[in-house]
Amino acid sequence: MKIFVLNCGSSSLKYKLFNMEDESVLADGKVERIGQENAIVTHQSTGKEKVSKTMPIYEHTVAIQECLNLLTDPEVGIIKSTKEIDAVGHRVVHGGESFSESVRITENTKEILESVSDLAPLHNPANLVGIRAAEKLMPDTVQVAVFDTAFHSTMPRHAFLYAIPFSLYQRHKVRRYGFHGTSHNYIAQRVGALMKQDLGKLKIISCHLGNGASLCAIDGGKSVDTSMGFTPLEGLMMGTRSGDIDPGALSYIMEKENIPMANINSMLNKHSGLYGIAGASDMRDIEKGVEENSTMHQVAFDMYEYRIRKYIGSYVAAMNGVDAIAFTAGIGENSPKLRSAICKNLTYLGIEIDEDANKQRGQEIEISTPKSKVKVFVIPTDEEVMIARDTLAIVQNK
Amino acid sequence: MDIRKVAILGSGRLGRGIAENAASKGYEVTLFAQGAGSQEAPQKIENRLNRKLNKWAITESEKRVILSRINYTSDLKELENADLVIEATIDHFYTKQELLRTADRICKPNVVFILTSATLNVSDLARGLSRAEQLIGVHFIPPVTEVDVVEVSHNPFTSKETIELTERFLNRLGKKPIYINESPGLVNPRALITLINEGAYLVDEGVANIYSVEQILKASWGMEQGPFEMADRMGLDTILRWMEQLHTQFGDRYAPAPLIRRFVRQGRLGVKTGQGFLTYTKDGLVDYSSYEQEEQ
Repeated sequence: MKIFVLNCGSSSLKYKLFNMEDESVLADGKVERIGQENAIVTHQSTGKEKVSKTMPIYEHTVAIQECLNLLTDPEVGIIKSTKEIDAVGHRVVHGGESFSESVRITENTKEILESVSDLAPLHNPANLVGIRAAEKLMPDTVQVAVFDTAFHSTMPRHAFLYAIPFSLYQRHKVRRYGFHGTSHNYIAQRVGALMKQDLGKLKIISCHLGNGASLCAIDGGKSVDTSMGFTPLEGLMMGTRSGDIDPGALSYIMEKENIPMANINSMLNKHSGLYGIAGASDMRDIEKGVEENSTMHQVAFDMYEYRIRKYIGSYVAAMNGVDAIAFTAGIGENSPKLRSAICKNLTYLGIEIDEDANKQRGQEIEISTPKSKVKVFVIPTDEEVMIARDTLAIVQNK
Repeated sequence: MDIRKVAILGSGRLGRGIAENAASKGYEVTLFAQGAGSQEAPQKIENRLNRKLNKWAITESEKRVILSRINYTSDLKELENADLVIEATIDHFYTKQELLRTADRICKPNVVFILTSATLNVSDLARGLSRAEQLIGVHFIPPVTEVDVVEVSHNPFTSKETIELTERFLNRLGKKPIYINESPGLVNPRALITLINEGAYLVDEGVANIYSVEQILKASWGMEQGPFEMADRMGLDTILRWMEQLHTQFGDRYAPAPLIRRFVRQGRLGVKTGQGFLTYTKDGLVDYSSYEQEEQ
């Protein structure tokens, strides 16, 4: 069975084609700058030459058609016809409260997704465009939506509610939703497999540290708390996002700087985080600055590390213990310096790091010593395979 | 029809605002700049984006992308590439009509013309054009990038397709179109002019000074800019021209207050001359220091 996984953004898309018999990747690629006359298409079928070309692509339907053309191309493709694709799995960022698991897409699904689009205005509309385009091009193929928020639907009420008037939850569903759910779920499953233990009995803290970053407390395989909230702005310090800040400071800034809420949103999302402190949003640049003794790069690094550690501590308290901590995504997988700094300050948990193992980058590995009371792992995340698995499960249950 | 290339006739504050708005939403914009001050248009747009950047409204890369999407020309022949034309020149009937007739000859036949006049009717400007059904009036309210509503009026011949295409375009700009009947002065300009004129009378009659009127109206109605700052940003010459046109149409209730005529005569035209009702810094911000000293 072949599953096509599609992740549509507002001006880009990524895709992977899986053979689900062994979960191998048959092809992957992306289209960038959709909407422009110099869109960039990159495609690679496994074992074949990589293709990269620039062409005018003004809409997602054309972009997806181009991907399908490449997949079925006699020279660079891997399948003979799109009819070989059994299902399409779409990444959808926000499912609101309506979706606690992946679903087969129907007219009703799309209507509900439209209705929660204002919860993720940058992502959900683009996801819907991708869904409609894929339906148009493959009308007989099953389409499945896999939600970033779904994994967190198990959070208890005391964790997902904000301490603001309850009527705001009732009227507008203002609450913690959490994001990166597909990634945290994958990490939990891999930790269970690596520890050879029943996931139902494990307490795990998953640290997804990319340009966007979130932590998730996973008790018995279920998300019980996560650092991102109503939007992906809450929680940890990120590349350009502030993470937690006293809302009282915002009205003060608005008044002092004479700026509207739109500027505050832009400031918190695009001008803050590592960038706001050190002028660089990439952790590699921050670490380079630290090596060169730049004070502000050091401050940014320390803030970033401290906030992760603080959240780890709070999730240990939330779950009354922890069996494993796992680092994933761009920074989590590739920054031994950060992992080491975090773990060095968690000795009260009995954590002990094997510094040699910790030097590894981007590979699945245990980095704690055998004596460590809490296992620490680096696990490259694979959201696409999770989307493909969910899609397969829905196709097989139809 | 898919709109990708937008031509804007006129590089004044309105034209520049629409250009910035359209470019920030992904359109390729050609700004037709002719006449006095047109050479400053690129710098003025960049200055405005820099101010936004300094206040975190956009990022450095967003600024670069917006600027890269705006081209400047004075050659009307380039209109032949446009998918949509927006006319944003001063409200002078014959100047506008001549420009529209030229554009009508150059543009592709299916291109829609959006007219932004505050005081002239679309129907009157439609005379002599081959595309009356593709003309529509849209009043953008300055500052264009920040005000979310626009007033839309059409002539009796405007086609359903033109209205739908315009609505799609406006939605992509982030605007909510509100449909009104064609009438000189529309809704916002008429109401605004009345407020500015009454403010000028209050000052002229010695009821309160300029700064006090501005402060009271701004604070009590929760306005980001008071009526005098709005007038200064639009240009007192423009305001006076609107008033004279509405005076002709509607009679004495739009008779310009003597203070406004006096300021225009003295060359106090607003932000562009550094002084209008209020005084401005080089960066175009209200210079409150002079008023604070006055208060002390």
